[in-house]
Amino acid sequence: MNSKTTRRNFLSTGLMLPVVGAGSSLGLLNLSAQTPAGSPLKLSYKTLGKTGLKVTSVGMGCMITSDPSVVTRAADLGITYFDTARGYQRGNNERMVGAALGSKRKQVVLSTKTEARDKAGMAKELDTSLSELKTDFVDVWYLHGKSSPSEIHDDMIEALQLAKQQGKARFVGISTHSGQAQLIPWMVQKGVFDVVLSGFNFTMENTGVEQAIDAAAKTGMGVVAMKVMAGGARSQKAGQTMLTTLKWVINHPSVATTIPSMTDMSQLDENVQAMGSTLTAEDHRVLAGHLKMIAAEYCRMCGECDGSCAQGLPVADVLRYVTYADGYGQFALGRERFLQMASEHVAVRCENCPECTVKCPFGVKVQMRMKRAQELFA
Amino acid sequence: MRVVHLALVPLMLMAGMARAQDFLSCQLVPGWTQSEAIHPYTAENLYDYKDGGAEGYLIYGFAGMRSLNCKLGENTLTIDVSEMNDADAAYGLFATNRDPRAPIAKIGMGGQVQPLSATFAKGKYYVEIVVNAVDPNSDHTAELTALVNKMVQRMEGRETPPEALAWFPTEDQSKTGVVPQSVLGLKELKHGYVAKYKQGQAFIVVEETPASAAAVLKVLRQKYDGATDAKVGDEAFQAKAPYLDGICIFRKGRTLGGYANMPSGQEAAAQSVKLAARIP
Repeated sequence: MNSKTTRRNFLSTGLMLPVVGAGSSLGLLNLSAQTPAGSPLKLSYKTLGKTGLKVTSVGMGCMITSDPSVVTRAADLGITYFDTARGYQRGNNERMVGAALGSKRKQVVLSTKTEARDKAGMAKELDTSLSELKTDFVDVWYLHGKSSPSEIHDDMIEALQLAKQQGKARFVGISTHSGQAQLIPWMVQKGVFDVVLSGFNFTMENTGVEQAIDAAAKTGMGVVAMKVMAGGARSQKAGQTMLTTLKWVINHPSVATTIPSMTDMSQLDENVQAMGSTLTAEDHRVLAGHLKMIAAEYCRMCGECDGSCAQGLPVADVLRYVTYADGYGQFALGRERFLQMASEHVAVRCENCPECTVKCPFGVKVQMRMKRAQELFA
Repeated sequence: MRVVHLALVPLMLMAGMARAQDFLSCQLVPGWTQSEAIHPYTAENLYDYKDGGAEGYLIYGFAGMRSLNCKLGENTLTIDVSEMNDADAAYGLFATNRDPRAPIAKIGMGGQVQPLSATFAKGKYYVEIVVNAVDPNSDHTAELTALVNKMVQRMEGRETPPEALAWFPTEDQSKTGVVPQSVLGLKELKHGYVAKYKQGQAFIVVEETPASAAAVLKVLRQKYDGATDAKVGDEAFQAKAPYLDGICIFRKGRTLGGYANMPSGQEAAAQSVKLAARIP
């Protein structure tokens, strides 16, 4: 982790552009009670790959924002990337974002997504999105939530290309929460995608996900990161550590922008502040400590363990089942999924193996967790 | 005695599961058959199914989801039953996802049936049903209505919306909802209810105690330069606030309420008087 500090700090510092007195220059009302404390507001900008779009390194995921004033203020503060999707709140989210951005629409980069699975359905959804967002075009239009190339058919790609030709989408891409190590290289090889929106955070450093993202960025694909808080780092007590995870991502050289969810003005202020700060040695210590704490149990779903169990256990799946019970109090669900495995896998008892053949590269104590699952569910 | 209790636990779990299966069945609609096993989801893997939309469930207090796929000829039907932490959360999820251009029907706590989809909430359950029809212009309202009615009959739980929603004045009201976090975009107003009007919006937040409500009110007042006293409830202020325009926030016992996005603080206060009078 430390080996990258210098390079990333250099990059983020170099890209940081001070926006002195941004509030007054944008004609805002008195923001003294809500603007970040301290010296001038700093926004850092990056270029979204070959699209050439200039974006703030912190964008806004609008999914759970309930009050449009937060979106409006984010745009006023200078955030330039806003993300929504046709499916969010069954369409209500796009409507809210469109209304909240209002006349600022053309000053920002706006992305939305489609879950439709055929050309006609996608075209229909895009027209609906444009209508709800009150715009003639979106800057980035994503296929929503894909985890494998097998989910993407030729007519879907045709629909993306057609949208670009018609001027309804300036650029196109795919959003993905899993399977990135296979999906992103496929996107690069396919050559028709401009942007990838991927789950990415500090827990994925040195995994196949990071390698895929780095490789994509080198080819000019724009990289947008989501799930950047790694599951709620904001809830940690110490103010200094709350945004460390966000800082890690925005300082990553392959990531152009991020879309943390924001529900209130305070979160917005915190995230804007993150743009003005570099990743410190203390931040690295905090992240390393957190990783160490969760290492024995936290599966990063990197796939390295696939096929390595001498008894043939689907290790990552069993780890997930035991997490259902231990992490989420969903014992019944964990047991149900465990018992749905092939009978020869349900019958495996790890104490019968003299030595575990599964070596997790991230330190998950696999045999211990497998035994735990067998004790709980078998 | 303890042995007896432990022996009862699996039976109780099985009974709960049986009830859930009872209302989650393709056979509730004649002709439909189950096409695959029920998919269970937790907070951990909901992203696999709902992608980024999962956050919208989690923020309301999500316990789990069971998803069932049914088939009739070339058409498929997906029924997602989300179990939320409480009935308010289930209603809140329904309200945020509902089509604001269509009325709310008396289905459980509230529901909507449209040609290719239906949603409703009852007790701690929020249900979404989607028909993936070969003919996208086909109308399945009758089938969906029958299915929804059968599911509601088999479900346990509350059939009335959150009590606080009835406190909002109804004149010129366009929409109500449950806000799981940061009412009006203010982190101090942690969780509450809103009503949108032709002009402005009203909100209600119920705090633990009158003292905690007073503390929140004090913090909020300090946010706004030029805030002045208003005669509403036990204590109140009015102000012109960034992004919220004319605003009035009052405390009545342990309840905070008020209006925002009004032309002036005075007008927000005038409306707030009406709201305060309706709060028990």
